[in-house]
Amino acid sequence: MILTLQTPRPLSRLPRFLPFSTNASITLNQSQPATCTSPPPPHSQILSTRHSLLSRQFSAADLLRSHLNRLNLTEPHLRSFLHLPDPSDLLAQADSLDRRIAAGEDVGPLAGVLVAVKDNICTADMPSTGGSRILEGYRPPFDATAVKRAKELGAIVVGKTNLDEFGMGSTTEGSAFQVTANPWDLSRVPGGSSGGSAAAVSARQCVVSLGSDTGGSVRQPASFCGVVGLKPTYGRVSRFGLMAYASSLDTIGCFGSSVADAGILLHAISGHDRFDATSSNQIPKFISQDVPNFLSHFVSASSFESKPLKGLRVGLIRETIGDGVDAGVISAIHSAASHFEELGCSVNEVSLPSFSLGLPAYYILASSESSSNLSRYDGIRYGNQVYADELDSLYGSSRANGFGSEVKMRILMGTYALSAGYYDAYYKRAQQVRTIIRNSFTEALNQNDILISPAAPSPAYKIGEKKNDPLAMYAGDIMTVNVNLAGLPALVLPCGFVEGGTAGLPIGLQMIGAAFGEEELLRVGHIFEQTLENCRFVPPIIAEDIAS
Amino acid sequence: MGGVGAMVKGASYSYAVFCGSFLRSPRLSFSIHNKKKLLKFRSFSSKSTCSSLQPPDVSRLAKTAQISLTPDEVEEFAPKIQQVIDWFGQLQDVDLQSVEPSIRAETENNLRDNVPETFDHRDAMIGAVPSYEEPYIKVPRVLSMD
Repeated sequence: MILTLQTPRPLSRLPRFLPFSTNASITLNQSQPATCTSPPPPHSQILSTRHSLLSRQFSAADLLRSHLNRLNLTEPHLRSFLHLPDPSDLLAQADSLDRRIAAGEDVGPLAGVLVAVKDNICTADMPSTGGSRILEGYRPPFDATAVKRAKELGAIVVGKTNLDEFGMGSTTEGSAFQVTANPWDLSRVPGGSSGGSAAAVSARQCVVSLGSDTGGSVRQPASFCGVVGLKPTYGRVSRFGLMAYASSLDTIGCFGSSVADAGILLHAISGHDRFDATSSNQIPKFISQDVPNFLSHFVSASSFESKPLKGLRVGLIRETIGDGVDAGVISAIHSAASHFEELGCSVNEVSLPSFSLGLPAYYILASSESSSNLSRYDGIRYGNQVYADELDSLYGSSRANGFGSEVKMRILMGTYALSAGYYDAYYKRAQQVRTIIRNSFTEALNQNDILISPAAPSPAYKIGEKKNDPLAMYAGDIMTVNVNLAGLPALVLPCGFVEGGTAGLPIGLQMIGAAFGEEELLRVGHIFEQTLENCRFVPPIIAEDIAS
Repeated sequence: MGGVGAMVKGASYSYAVFCGSFLRSPRLSFSIHNKKKLLKFRSFSSKSTCSSLQPPDVSRLAKTAQISLTPDEVEEFAPKIQQVIDWFGQLQDVDLQSVEPSIRAETENNLRDNVPETFDHRDAMIGAVPSYEEPYIKVPRVLSMD
């Protein structure tokens, strides 16, 4: 509805001690990832934070202040957050943690970790708008299970992040409130719908963040912002408290600046929840809930064998590296494939029949389910009401006033597809296509341990580029939607750059695993990441700040 | 929150198919650089087993979905919605004869016991109601008098 498109600020207006610097040692070569001369990244912010806190190297309050400082400097340019709590509330939490550490008490594995939460995930102590005017000011009476679990383990929720309204969109321009900028190039989008969560981690405004992935909304922004994005198997993480968009496709996913961080957060929030009938009771293939065993995957690169992934069969999805995919993206994926081979894998091309049908099938299912799910926003029990003398008019006006254009269109499309007589033609057929796609993945994953593809056909678009053409925007989801249809887990990690911005634009590699195979994905992803030519994916806007 | 929300399942009518009706379904290529190339239309005659689907009537859909669109919005949305619905039509083309529809990825029977529990934060829930007069949620009249 009302989209506040802010013109990107000219770079000269950035404060002087955060110059938009180019790292002179980055060589932009489309056929290779950028090389950097900085030391290898710490393999886990969460683990090094824990180590520093427990060894009293610095306090949780210090860590919080340093992040808040960076957040305050970058936020006017990025606009990742829709809501930031009073800093004194956060400091109180940090102080309390510091006291407990000083007293020698046990603290959870996420103690002191700053987590940002996408605004379609309910938090009781902060507004949760879903990026929509219809829920502007709404405070849920409960925390989402994922948030509750993170908090129980010591995480500090640093704010609520921007998103496309109700998760519908791929650029975050669909937010009713503001447009988030990509930290790598402020004139570009961070991706969507979890753009705020991706940007916040990318710019190190927080350590990790939660997003939601229904058709790629964690993985594509991860690719655009140069961070790790992890979409779990459908049913791995409770959807209780996630504002429903398409119930058979929605998942809560994690962002981190490393595979280890995304994995540790996922581990913390996973597991059966009696409030979500679709959350799996299956013994998860996290081989153990036992944290030390799980963490043993994230060892430092120096302890890797020479071919640490020897014997792993990697399938590169042929349909994702053809027509319509940017040359730079294809090149980055081929480089990633070579990297896998260096690590001892065998990489083969694999074809997924009916791959291209996934996109229309996804949009039929998603718009149909969303038309049903969003019928709850009627202005009666919560949300913003536009009063009228008759009930029907109240519904009509409240919803017309509260929903943005993309949401309205998808509801209408879904209403059409589910109309009397049309169910067989659209929804049922889309469900059948879903079966075909699921089977084709199962087949491919019998012959390969993991499948790889780009996360998006291009790097981040310019703000405004996709505004008026829905199909052009939907086309960008081609790499990601099939994974949601099949309910599989997928990990995206930055694997290279293409030209653009002042220091290149990141490209993400998507790795798809078998159902409940997150542990294997994380193990492989960690090794890939740690051996990737000492490359750091730190956006220029904070490069100097991080280096100091 | 779990499972697929309530769906509008219509009766399955079969509409008479009149000769010469076409369902155009754009073939989607992934190029994002050239929008004209993006949508390639191909036409084919609808099969006799397939119902002839009326194009979306945006005003009527809006009434069904309880969203009061302005005439400007109807005009703006109609071509875009038509375009997407046309694009959906390519699924008509696919042979899905013996394929079972999947509700979702994993189907486990995972229901909790049907035992009511008191919600702890009732006050917060009531506090969110725009128009409340203990113990009623207040709404305008449901039926008009004419």
